[in-house]
Amino acid sequence: MQKQVFLVLDDGSLLKGIAFGAVAPTVDEAAKQAEAGIGEVVFNTGMTGYHEILTDPSYIGQLVLMTYPHIGNYGDHEDWSESEVPGIGAAGLIVRSVYRGAVPAGRESLHSFMERRGIPGISGVDTRALTLKIRTSGNQKGMIVSPSEADTLSNAETAACITLLTGYPDMEGRDIVSQLQERREAALDQGLDEGKTAQKAEPARYSKKKNLHVALIDFGYKANIKRELIHRGCRVTILPAGVSRREVDAIGPDAVLLSNGPGDPAVLGGPIQLASDIGKNYPLFGICLGHQIISLAFGAQTYKMKFGHHGLNHPVRDEESGRVYITSQNHGFAVSGEALLPEGLELWMKNANDQTIEGIRHRKKRIASVQFHPEAAPGPYDTLWVFDEFLSIAQGGN
Amino acid sequence: MPARQDISSILIIGSGPIVIGQACEFDYSGTQAVSALKEEGYRIVLVNPNPATVMTTPGLADAIYAEPLSADYVREIIAKERPDAVLPTMGGQTALNLALELYEAGTFSEFGVEMIGATVNAIRLAEDRGRFKQLAGELGIEVPNSALIGDLEAALEFKGQSGLPIIIRPSYTLGGQGGSIAETEAEFAELISNALAVSPVHQALVEESLVGWKEYELELVRDKADNTAVICSIENIDPMGVHTGDSITVAPAQTLSDREYQQMRLAAMNIMRKVGVDCGGSNVQFAVDPDTGRMIVREMNPRVSRSSALASKATGFPIARCSAKLSVGYTLDEVVNEITGKTVSSFEPALDYCAVKVPRFELKKFPHGHTQLGTQMKSVGEALAIGRTFPEALNKAVCAAEIGYEGLEELDMGYDGLDKMLETAHPLRLWAAYTVIRREGKRAIAALSTKTGFDPWVLYNLSEIAEVEEELADAGSLHSGSNSGEPGFDLLLRAKRAGLTDRRIARRFGMSAAKLTALRLSLKLQPGYHLVDTCAGEFSAETPYFYSTYGEIDEGDPLGSEAVLIIGSGPNRIGQGVEFDTGCTLASLSYRRRGIKAVMINSNPETVSTDFNISDRLYLEPVHPEFVQSVLQKEGIRKVVVQLGGQTPLNIAEELADSGIEVIGTSVAGIQRTEDRRQFSELMTSLGIRQPRNLTALSVVQVHEYAAEIGYPVLLRPSFVLGGQSMSVAFTEKELELLLHTQLEVDEQHPVLVDQFLEDAFEYDLDLLCDGQNVYIAGLMQHIESAGVHSGDSACVFPAYKTSTEKNQEMYRVATTIARALEVKGLLNIQFALKDEELYVIEVNPRASRTIPFLAKASGVNLVDAAVHVWTGGNLEELGLCTDGFGVGTPLEKWAVKEAVFSFERFERLDPLLSPEMKSTGEVMGSGDSLGEAFLKAQAAAGSTLPKEGAVFVSVHDKDKATILPIVQELSEMGFHILATRGTAEYLFTHGVFPEVVLKLHEGRPNLADYLRSGKVQAIINTPMGQFSQHDDEQVRIQAVKLRIPYTTTSTAAWATLQGIRYARTQQKLVRPLHLSKDLSRN
Repeated sequence: MQKQVFLVLDDGSLLKGIAFGAVAPTVDEAAKQAEAGIGEVVFNTGMTGYHEILTDPSYIGQLVLMTYPHIGNYGDHEDWSESEVPGIGAAGLIVRSVYRGAVPAGRESLHSFMERRGIPGISGVDTRALTLKIRTSGNQKGMIVSPSEADTLSNAETAACITLLTGYPDMEGRDIVSQLQERREAALDQGLDEGKTAQKAEPARYSKKKNLHVALIDFGYKANIKRELIHRGCRVTILPAGVSRREVDAIGPDAVLLSNGPGDPAVLGGPIQLASDIGKNYPLFGICLGHQIISLAFGAQTYKMKFGHHGLNHPVRDEESGRVYITSQNHGFAVSGEALLPEGLELWMKNANDQTIEGIRHRKKRIASVQFHPEAAPGPYDTLWVFDEFLSIAQGGN
Repeated sequence: MPARQDISSILIIGSGPIVIGQACEFDYSGTQAVSALKEEGYRIVLVNPNPATVMTTPGLADAIYAEPLSADYVREIIAKERPDAVLPTMGGQTALNLALELYEAGTFSEFGVEMIGATVNAIRLAEDRGRFKQLAGELGIEVPNSALIGDLEAALEFKGQSGLPIIIRPSYTLGGQGGSIAETEAEFAELISNALAVSPVHQALVEESLVGWKEYELELVRDKADNTAVICSIENIDPMGVHTGDSITVAPAQTLSDREYQQMRLAAMNIMRKVGVDCGGSNVQFAVDPDTGRMIVREMNPRVSRSSALASKATGFPIARCSAKLSVGYTLDEVVNEITGKTVSSFEPALDYCAVKVPRFELKKFPHGHTQLGTQMKSVGEALAIGRTFPEALNKAVCAAEIGYEGLEELDMGYDGLDKMLETAHPLRLWAAYTVIRREGKRAIAALSTKTGFDPWVLYNLSEIAEVEEELADAGSLHSGSNSGEPGFDLLLRAKRAGLTDRRIARRFGMSAAKLTALRLSLKLQPGYHLVDTCAGEFSAETPYFYSTYGEIDEGDPLGSEAVLIIGSGPNRIGQGVEFDTGCTLASLSYRRRGIKAVMINSNPETVSTDFNISDRLYLEPVHPEFVQSVLQKEGIRKVVVQLGGQTPLNIAEELADSGIEVIGTSVAGIQRTEDRRQFSELMTSLGIRQPRNLTALSVVQVHEYAAEIGYPVLLRPSFVLGGQSMSVAFTEKELELLLHTQLEVDEQHPVLVDQFLEDAFEYDLDLLCDGQNVYIAGLMQHIESAGVHSGDSACVFPAYKTSTEKNQEMYRVATTIARALEVKGLLNIQFALKDEELYVIEVNPRASRTIPFLAKASGVNLVDAAVHVWTGGNLEELGLCTDGFGVGTPLEKWAVKEAVFSFERFERLDPLLSPEMKSTGEVMGSGDSLGEAFLKAQAAAGSTLPKEGAVFVSVHDKDKATILPIVQELSEMGFHILATRGTAEYLFTHGVFPEVVLKLHEGRPNLADYLRSGKVQAIINTPMGQFSQHDDEQVRIQAVKLRIPYTTTSTAAWATLQGIRYARTQQKLVRPLHLSKDLSRN
């Protein structure tokens, strides 16, 4: 039997839908433990890749609205997960229509995957109307909530939801990275070592380069970043976000890569300091949040975008070659305009649609970073070469 | 980087006549290319002999040649116009093949013409299956096991290795023509020899069968800087084994995981790169094994295609337009996305809806066992519908296809019949699957998927439709006794969201569609309209391109009552093709030029009218009363144009008028006086105009009675038909009986019209414009084929070639009388027959006929623009078309000939004999100083080369012998060798012609078939009698079609052929651009 569930937004909007995935908390439950089903609502325009999106650590604290109306069509598989740890990934899923039929052998249904993973979902929502609303008025906070009785949400419940949402932290100024670390540790205690599963992925595809040792600093890294490094013959050591300069020195990597991750980069004082420190001695690279941290470390500014870029079709122009690539993107913050770049940094890539900064390089040091996701997963493989570029910069002179 | 400055004029090659596999999608791409390049300041020269198209409208390109698409004529055009470059990627396979031929003949290098859009090397790589296979292999992309063969021996060797079934694909043919699947040993050899015969290079690819695999297409664009974007992915609902043009398809791909999709995307991009298409669009097709996920690349087209037109409409990304810009040096990030007005073209559209295409077949026209689909395309048109969900889009698309279903409905059929459909690639296979699901529910899905290859996802979605229908049925039956039942809000909303029409829902409650609509509106259940914006709402859109859905946001404010709605003609079908789309498109442009907002509704993705640039607003919706009414309500529009889209809009005119909408032009009462047989007869009688005697029979007995009363031969047809569907002539009572037995249904619900058949009459088509008072005869055309051949199938000559001035005047007079009596405002078409100097009116159509675009081009008058002038309150005198209330159009050159083009080669064993039932799919024109020149060009444009020498085979019916004699005499004097069957030979012999007698098929060997096969016959004159011709005649015509030997089946056609041959022997090749004789645009 189909169960009613509601999406409440902080502006008081109430949308009714059908529940799927994990059972959404009632407002009372949510008040006690406000994580599942609550967060900033972002829309993602990808027509495939819902599984990768749901498991992407950068979506912690966010409810993902898929603009494509049919979601779940091809089922789910744990091999596609960007993180296997429950709680590390999107807080909820908002769709127009969820597929509940048979999936190919060896896969599980989206409903069952989300249930296992503890992610609530709501279907039957006019996702286009909601997308246009977000486009016009910017991101909003929202929660997926089960009615405590029958199939309507009482006025009192709605009011309680809005109170909860008002109290829920704004994305701007929010440090989610430290929260992520706690969850990682909790997962380790339960024997869930993400590093291992990613490592077993596939053997190296590229052998021409000398085997580099890359330290991947975990702000919520996507498993495919690690896979792409391993494919290129790299030895990868994952270091937690709170790692110190000394700890990095202790393992002596050939290069350091700052991963993607959730939240506002500007408040990550520790990592910004670390980046500025290790950038002096190590080749340093960044993806998404990592790119923002590097930019901040070398004097640039970041800002919260109106509704960000979340999709698989964003054109990025390499300002040097003029080439335009279709990229996978997921960010709500960006590095402030070209004119505001500090002297040490130069513009590498730009978004061909809205001209926002998509990549920077250091004029003198072996430092480069990109805003988009070269590792795809989900999305096009057009920019996998960025990993080669990073490694080649890392190997180039000193 | 700006557009190239080193070239200033560009030749664009069109695709010629509409045939199965190459339809108006190339009018769309060509028209886009013309406008995209003209706005860059280039001089555009266009060659396309298809007058029905938008692209050949004078004023669009700088110089337009309606000349044959053959190397010799195009060479003349190049010599005259001296273009710097040629763009061959906009006119389908025809244009690519022609460009290759011109390249190989050295014409391009001789005149310094550069090929842009695709290089010769790229075209060859993509087309040459052997090299393509090697190329894919080098990229590590799997291809089917296959071999390129040039003879049966090699084919047998491959069969030895791979086993049956085997797919056979001839090289370099259109739309899979000549392709087949060999399943049995017995048919293998014949299928191979067929394939080799249709391939211009006498080659075919034999490959392992992927039947049952999932099938995908990706549409890509790539620029000179190697920027590449995948514009659209399309998933075929029908698994491999059905030609993609015949498959129901959905965009975007639905059942690929991100990894699978990205691998396919990368493979497609690598293939495009390797083939070397570096400034334009391409299409790459894949197959995926549903069990293992093994992905195979099937083929690549280095040009825009039917699928790219579909993808353009499905996404809002104009692939042809963008490709044209890329061909002159732009990069993707320099081409603005016109939909958003702010993003660039180097991105990949994100859809937040489903777009479903449903093909339209002419199963009733081609009835002889051609219902099983295969690798050779058979559909004549397609409809596209967009919905928020797949069920909604699918139901809308089926409705839009106008094939008699209100959506995907269950069939009234037993399991035996259903199983037969499910096990073969029947065009209604998806209906059969739905029927089973309706009966058995979700539990049927797994077994159905195994049996049909439909993905479980598709079948699950069908089950969701079935559940809604079940609930409706339950709700309906609850109240069946009291008859007061009606669906509640929630159920109705769910039904509308599943794409069910009011009519379909109403049936469940035993109420009329109108009543259900009223109920729905009283519940405030109106559709919401969403924008097709290329970006799933991420950016605001500037171009208003809409589709409807239910229960969601409604975008766009109403335009209001000053705007007009132009109702399009829906999917192409025989009898209603691109010519009507041209009318609708030109009307929209004309209204807009006059400052009046024009809104278009149409469902045909191939067309120019569904280009979002043509109208102020575009609604991609079924041309169905409910959807039309909803758009009118949404926009607050009160005026509709129904005259231009053929019969489809006319059929809903009355309903619209009843609801208070103003039908622009001729009134609905006027329309009814021509459409209703009784009213029409009364009108003709009152005006003193002669009609063939006619009676309406309501039973078999009556048909016999009336036939006897009127006298044989009689013409029989069901009332209310299009394109002469099921129309037949009975010469004897015996033939009549057979017809009643096999083809005609007669009862009170299905009346049959019995008409006096005017044997051997001359037929004329007259089109006119009337502003209520003034009459402009746009043209009087005479048919070459005699009465009894559908007017759409007959070649026709403008002006009439065999009438007296008095008869012409009489026709003008009668036409004027009819136009004034009907108070025509706009266009009117009248068909006359002349027999024994007596003039008869056969038919009157109160709308633009299919000859309007031809006449407009042949006479240089934009007739649609003139009609819009009338509709906006102007008169014809102001336009200079009439003086003293009357005017007559004349051809630009002395003669213009319109020739019908058929797709008979698609249907093996189908007799290409012409009859009252229309069978042609397209048309071409030829013009010249003599009728011979015009006819020869029209024939050449239609793909038939009239011989200058050689042998002509003659076999004619007794009644034709006297008329044929002088023709054969002249051919003989020219030095043609005459071949004839015994009877004809005897007649010719006694009249001084000495033919070689050829045996009929049953008379022994060598017989005529052997002569044909060995190339000993260059033309055929073969007139049969009645519908039930000899088996021999039929075989001859079938062979002639296969071998592309010109053949004529009437004595007038033979006479015209003689004129053409006479001109051909002069060796002249003159080319002349079309132009406007009257520029109406200042009015």
